Amino acid sequence: MKTHGLLDASGAGALEFAWLIDATAPVSEYGAHIFAGLQPYRPGEESFAHARAHRIASTAAHLDTPKLDALRDVMRNMPDANGAIALASMGESLGDVAFLELQRFCDAVVRVDALTAGVAGIEPVANVATRNVARELERGRTGKFAFYLSDAFDPSLQTARTRLAAATAEFDAVRGRAVEAIARQLGRDDISGEEFIVMRTDLPATLPLGVRVLREAATYVLCALEFDEATQAALQRRDAAADAVAAAEEAVRVHLSGIVRSHAAGLDAAATALGELDVLVAAARFTSSYGCTVARIVAEPTLAFTSGRFLPLARELETQGRTFTPIDVTLHDVAVLTGPNMGGKSVCLRTCGFIALCAAFGLPVPATTAQSGLFDEIGWLGIGSDAERPGGLLSSFAKEVVRLRELLERATGRLFVLVDEFARTTTPHEGKALIVALLEVLRDRGACGLIATHLAGVANAAGVRHFAVRGLRGISQAPPTGDLQAALTALAASMDYTIALVSDDGAARSDALALAALLGLDAGLIASAYEHLK
Amino acid sequence: MRVGAAILDLVRADGTARIFIVGTGKNVGKTVTMRAVYEAACDAGLRVGLMSIGRDGEAVDVSDATPKPRLRFRPGTVIATARNVLPRFPALEMLGLSSLATAAGTIVYARVAQSAFYELVGPPTASGVREAAAVLSEHTDLTIVDGAVDRLAAVAGGGDDSSIVVASGAAAGGTVREAVDGVRALVERLRIERFDPAAEAVRIDGALTPAMAARLIAQHEQRQIVVRDPTQIALTGKAASHAFSRLRLRCERPLRVVAATVASISQQHSFEPRELARAVVDATGLPTFDVYVGERAR
Repeated sequence: MKTHGLLDASGAGALEFAWLIDATAPVSEYGAHIFAGLQPYRPGEESFAHARAHRIASTAAHLDTPKLDALRDVMRNMPDANGAIALASMGESLGDVAFLELQRFCDAVVRVDALTAGVAGIEPVANVATRNVARELERGRTGKFAFYLSDAFDPSLQTARTRLAAATAEFDAVRGRAVEAIARQLGRDDISGEEFIVMRTDLPATLPLGVRVLREAATYVLCALEFDEATQAALQRRDAAADAVAAAEEAVRVHLSGIVRSHAAGLDAAATALGELDVLVAAARFTSSYGCTVARIVAEPTLAFTSGRFLPLARELETQGRTFTPIDVTLHDVAVLTGPNMGGKSVCLRTCGFIALCAAFGLPVPATTAQSGLFDEIGWLGIGSDAERPGGLLSSFAKEVVRLRELLERATGRLFVLVDEFARTTTPHEGKALIVALLEVLRDRGACGLIATHLAGVANAAGVRHFAVRGLRGISQAPPTGDLQAALTALAASMDYTIALVSDDGAARSDALALAALLGLDAGLIASAYEHLK
Repeated sequence: MRVGAAILDLVRADGTARIFIVGTGKNVGKTVTMRAVYEAACDAGLRVGLMSIGRDGEAVDVSDATPKPRLRFRPGTVIATARNVLPRFPALEMLGLSSLATAAGTIVYARVAQSAFYELVGPPTASGVREAAAVLSEHTDLTIVDGAVDRLAAVAGGGDDSSIVVASGAAAGGTVREAVDGVRALVERLRIERFDPAAEAVRIDGALTPAMAARLIAQHEQRQIVVRDPTQIALTGKAASHAFSRLRLRCERPLRVVAATVASISQQHSFEPRELARAVVDATGLPTFDVYVGERAR
């Protein structure tokens, strides 16, 4: 799954694209190949995006979690038979490992089809090729999951192996008797290995026939066994019998490889179908795990949802025993978002971007209801982007400006833009002017999006709609211990993170002083700050 | 005597079903020892599994072009090896696939159907070795792992179900004393005792390095120095002997070393076989066998 220009690196980071990839990744090599080629849908492809999301949701609805997990287990453990299929298609005689891979591939197809039988929209993967190859390889099945080039493949194999067994037994007997006789003469229980040492104290007057001296030392002799004529003759008979078995085995391999070659196209089709199913099942698992829903994909550049969630953060909060507050947003052009510090403005932007991103890839989205257009780019500017990186010759503001310039120059198509506190490091007066001008430019271009700011009067000045985080419902006292985690918990309990469309465009509430107090800043300093506000 | 059978008896008396054969260096008789134990196990009617930590069974060592002992396996033997070194002939019963990668392809599990020479190529990681050994154990009564001293980490996963046989020889030292010092240090390292939970201890998280050991010695540390298992002691040779004499080294998971073998011959030089074997007995206290002479040292 690649962004193909839908997101730049900053946007991908801010919207946690890597998290989405992990959450929707398939488990098999076949699926990975298809997943790597997934691209976002572009404006004009709304029906395809909607159809894909609908298919994923339908799969999630028809296959419960244990079945989805069972399917993923089958596909995770399925060997990659693509190499074997490719080699056979090019005329290669396959080895026995490749036959085992193909057998297990065909087994996996049967199991997958059994698990998806009757599910609307999922066609069986098995085809003539998988059935024929499976039938041929079945003669080599040993136990439940093993493969052997057994005698059942060809009567001549059995004949050759019987002869080899007899020749081997003859050689072992002749050789065994010779070695035993030598060992007896040397007073040893046995001789193992090609080389052995005879201590001179144990050395008979003459070395037994069939023993060759490799090295002599003061106290010992290093020896090796030689084959006598009878043993050599038996060895030649064994080697000849072995050659016959090798030829018979190879003939079976050539035959089986020919069958695989003749069905290569069908096997490839099954592999592709398995890969697509793997990708579908991964997306369905994502959908059911996170309670996602199919967004209505519309031709207009809009985004609207109820109870939307930014899943990466929701998951993180969950691990901390906290919950994400779902939000409702309706955007049909560019709008302004204000709200207190720590009120979730950035999270709101990320939620909008994440839902638009899911919709772009034809995934069900994390919301109760949703409607989304498709965009050529989801642009992110502000906190969390590389404009924030320290260092270099450019100030924070200068970096933001450069990023904005690049975004406006690059984004010639349909743009969904998310701007997080642009120009916050310059004077409020000039910062506001810049944001108002930016809103006008974006509106003229027909962009959709949200610009978060603390500056008052921006929405009115630009003539755009104004959303606000509802904010603090009265703030509790700072925890006496000065514990930051306790302060954050108190803040979360006091904060209403939901978003409302507001008509009042006066001075934006930041609740900065109340927050500073909650976070343990000196009480005298806070009191003085309140005095200065008057 | 039948050296392989004698070592097998020691292993079976220990009640374990897995043998790691580790050596003090290259060409010290690990593979010859493995072959002797393997033959004895087959003669005893055991279903045997074999694998290597490294590469064994090829006619010539690919790294230094020296001849290597070949490995001829009997029908019924189960092996874990890389797919690209499996012979085309004779056909093996292919039991399983793995994702453990080696330079010679992924590791596969196969049962020998006809006697032939085979090569063993093992996984490159300790966890891979443990995984492959565990799979072999599912199919067999006894698993033999031909190891290398620099891959000791794999041994630690053997736990209570594994015995260790230490191979040493002329190839590991220019003199008998050097060779014996090497095997003494290795055996001391492998045989450190389980720690005493009632006594004071300094726990080492990870490996005990020479620098750490030197610092503890300088501090005259009297408490137990506890590592997870003996393979976490990253000391060899004289440094190891020095540390063992000055520190109370202990571990949480001790290993079982049941025997030693010696190979008194090497490409470069040879030692007097019985002198070497006796010296190893004196240095380690282990039952020690010369696999070339075919006797146990007294």
